[in-house]
Amino acid sequence: MNQEIALKNREAHEAAEKLATYEWGFTSDIESEFAPKGLSEDTVRFISAKKGEPEWLLQWRLKGYRAWLEMEEVDWAKLHIPAIDYQDSYYYAEPKKRPTLASLDELDPEIRRTYEKLGIPIEEQKVLAGVEGARKVAVDAVFDSVSVATTFREELERAGVIFRSISEAVKEYPDLVRKYLGSVVPQRDNFFACLNSAVFSDGTFVYIPEGVRCPMELSTYFRINAENTGQFERTLIVADKGSYVSYLEGCTAPMRDENQLHAAVVEIFAHEDAEVKYSTVQNWYPGDAEGRGGIYNFVTKRAMCSGARSKVSWTQVETGSAITWKYPSCILKGEGSVGEFYSVALTNNRQQADTGTKMVHIGANTRSTIVSKGISAGRSDNTYRGLVKVLPGAENVRNFTQCDSLLLGDQCGSHTVPYIEVKNPTATIEHEATTSKISEDQLFYAMARGLDQEAAVALIVNGFAREVLKQLPMEFAVEAQKLLGISLEGSVG
Amino acid sequence: MTAPFPTRKAEAWRYADLDALKSVWDELPGAETITLAKGEARQQVWIGDGSPVGVRTVQVELAAGASIDIFALNTAPQYGRVELDVAMHEGAHFALHAANIGGGKATQEIVTAVRHLEPNGTSRQTVRSVLAGTATGSYLGKVAVARHAQKTDGEQSVKAMLLDRGATANCKPELEIYADDVKCAHGASVGELDPDQLFYALSRGLDPASAKALLLEGFVLQLWDEVADEAQREALIEASRAALRSVVA
Amino acid sequence: MLQITNLHATVADKPILNGLTLTVPAGEVHAIMGPNGAGKSTLAYVLGGRPGYEVTDGSATFMGEDLLAQEPHERAAAGLFLGFQYPVEIPGVSSMQFIRESLNAQRRARGEAELSGAEFIRLARAEATELGMDVEMLKRPVNVGFSGGEKKRAEMVQMGIMRPRFAVLDETDSGLDIDALRIVGAGINRIMRAPDRGALLITHYQRLLEVARPDKVHVLAEGRIVRSGGPELAVELEREGYTELA
Repeated sequence: MNQEIALKNREAHEAAEKLATYEWGFTSDIESEFAPKGLSEDTVRFISAKKGEPEWLLQWRLKGYRAWLEMEEVDWAKLHIPAIDYQDSYYYAEPKKRPTLASLDELDPEIRRTYEKLGIPIEEQKVLAGVEGARKVAVDAVFDSVSVATTFREELERAGVIFRSISEAVKEYPDLVRKYLGSVVPQRDNFFACLNSAVFSDGTFVYIPEGVRCPMELSTYFRINAENTGQFERTLIVADKGSYVSYLEGCTAPMRDENQLHAAVVEIFAHEDAEVKYSTVQNWYPGDAEGRGGIYNFVTKRAMCSGARSKVSWTQVETGSAITWKYPSCILKGEGSVGEFYSVALTNNRQQADTGTKMVHIGANTRSTIVSKGISAGRSDNTYRGLVKVLPGAENVRNFTQCDSLLLGDQCGSHTVPYIEVKNPTATIEHEATTSKISEDQLFYAMARGLDQEAAVALIVNGFAREVLKQLPMEFAVEAQKLLGISLEGSVG
Repeated sequence: MTAPFPTRKAEAWRYADLDALKSVWDELPGAETITLAKGEARQQVWIGDGSPVGVRTVQVELAAGASIDIFALNTAPQYGRVELDVAMHEGAHFALHAANIGGGKATQEIVTAVRHLEPNGTSRQTVRSVLAGTATGSYLGKVAVARHAQKTDGEQSVKAMLLDRGATANCKPELEIYADDVKCAHGASVGELDPDQLFYALSRGLDPASAKALLLEGFVLQLWDEVADEAQREALIEASRAALRSVVA
Repeated sequence: MLQITNLHATVADKPILNGLTLTVPAGEVHAIMGPNGAGKSTLAYVLGGRPGYEVTDGSATFMGEDLLAQEPHERAAAGLFLGFQYPVEIPGVSSMQFIRESLNAQRRARGEAELSGAEFIRLARAEATELGMDVEMLKRPVNVGFSGGEKKRAEMVQMGIMRPRFAVLDETDSGLDIDALRIVGAGINRIMRAPDRGALLITHYQRLLEVARPDKVHVLAEGRIVRSGGPELAVELEREGYTELA
């Protein structure tokens, strides 16, 4: 008996210690209903049936699955990806109870606590607390694959904005979903995107009608919750002519000993004069200091700037995941369309990141800007990989790329792999890259003013990343700044 | 050549003209080697011999404190490739000054892997491409800094000028860095002749073709400033001028 | 010598010159003054033939020939020199080479013999010395690494070497200190003051005009000449400003 108590105590201590090294690690115990383990046509049919999908979508999934069987895993990135057994995974889980809520007060207290631990931005907390006049942010929580709470739906609906989980949208707006699903990222685009198209669990659908400026920032928090559940989020944002939307995606994840695959797809379709700002703060569980556990984040994000003068701006702060493989891209097809990519990628311990963007200039007078800040610490590897491509018909293209790397310590790696392919003489393409370490002078100066070493490093790193951080909406920027500091703890000294 | 024939999947061959390569593959000699002893210094000048397909593969090994300056002019009318693998030891210096000048259907490429294996090395790669017709000019350059190769200073400067619709410039200035106290930078730009410069030259009385040629000379000939041997420098200047004349015409 | 009649011009579809009429006879130096945005630089570029500056109406003749029908380099060969407000940098091309090739292109177009290397160097050295410029600077790439003042001085050296029939000098005085201004002003007098030559000085300030005394001063506002007078007009403008005039 005593022995048993001692054992329990030790386990508790160990658990607490683990939590301490991953500040926002936690688990919640909502019951899950699993799809059968493994992947087959039956799994795909199970998922589709479970979600009550129409036949066309089932057929689309099956087409994706069959294509995936013939594809090869991606191997060109500068990443060491352990072999993934795609049959040793569950492809579907959802909370058993699916509350329908009139207001957030009725939300499961467990989920409410989860929100709090997630560190939902201050403005949002005010909204959640019912503070009068608080700036509104709509939250669509993708909680363990299935959307369980959507707020501010009414106000959005008054503006004509559709903001739904993708499963709901399939039922309510089948024509819209069918028209745009896979139109930006074709099923066969790559191995992971193809897998997603077969087994995507849930995600978000956004439609902003012509001429509408979305009255609030749209925000989604992702969680990975159930054991061994691959996450296959699918997001589709359609901005009709002259519309505007700012979309925030942030995530943190519970501790896991086993690797978890996360292969999301985000598609953005921008019509004439539409503008979409997509901001991400990514903090999936990175694994422990020795690199055990941690999420594999293999994401395909792409925007089609289809209409003239459309604009899509990607901003990302990537601090989490054991392995990140991610290239938010823009196809600049509409005349005068604009693509932007602002990125901070921070790796520590044994993390690996291979991230960047692709700007494909098809239309005349298209412009793109790329600003990438890579920070490597510990024994991590951090790669910027980017493509700027100008097709023969694209007149007067402008691109500017700035790509800076900062190394903390001599055990990490920092790499830059830019591809520039230009087929039109009127293009003006400029690319600059630098690599540096934190200067001793800067560090000493900050410490002489009273900052301890970690605070000084955090300060300097935030300065290094400032150009990108300032692109984020205010509340996100604050969170991202904290995150950079936290992610570097213990990396210097 | 006994090595297996490359495919486009291989990074170093992604922009290559493999059909042209096939035509010479069997006769290709293996890689040349240049080995410089401790403290040795050398300049090396390569000018294409005018044959339609030219492939030069060179392995350079620089011992501590050794220094090499390579000047390469790539003007092969069909397919020209200069590929360098450079292994650098403590305090070694490597400089590449190279130009692709191509018109018609030429494919020209400069491919480098500069490996800083030990501390205090410096590398400078300067590549200029002038491309007309439907020519393709590429630079695939990698600077790799090994763990503990501290105080490495590596620079890549890549500029390409496209003269016609249909010409293509590719560049991939890659960095692979495993040491923290390094200075590695690269800059790349692609564009056409600067219209302000062109107008300035025209306003001084140069006709459009001469103005273009003059500006392009300014763009390319700087590469050869540091050639010590006057005869070699003149040869590079003359060959560059001739190549520019033929692509502008 | 230069006759501009009812000139209308646009830049990026925006009208800048709106019916400008101006005559500069041979042997005279005129000045154009005016507030920012009046169209002064546009006039200079239109006369030089810069792409993007579109003439929508009116005419300009130079020594009896239709100036606007000519290409920029043909205008230079005809004897028109454009002094740039912001002289362009050309990396990799030495000033010596640039000026010599330009001058010889002009001479060829006029059916004159080209200058030999030695003749050219003698000429360049003489002009640089006259204008207080170290001849070594001409061995450097065109305008690269020059200060604002050095660029303007280098423009005058080019003008001295090329000996144009007519010079349009766009704010040649900006960026010059008082000593340089005196040298440049004297240079304009020396090079362009002749019965068969002429010049149009575009400037904000009266300072240059104190040295290079113009025969006439014109005020440009909103794209046309709103007032003309003698040198005293420049003094008045300096004192009163432009607000009263437009």
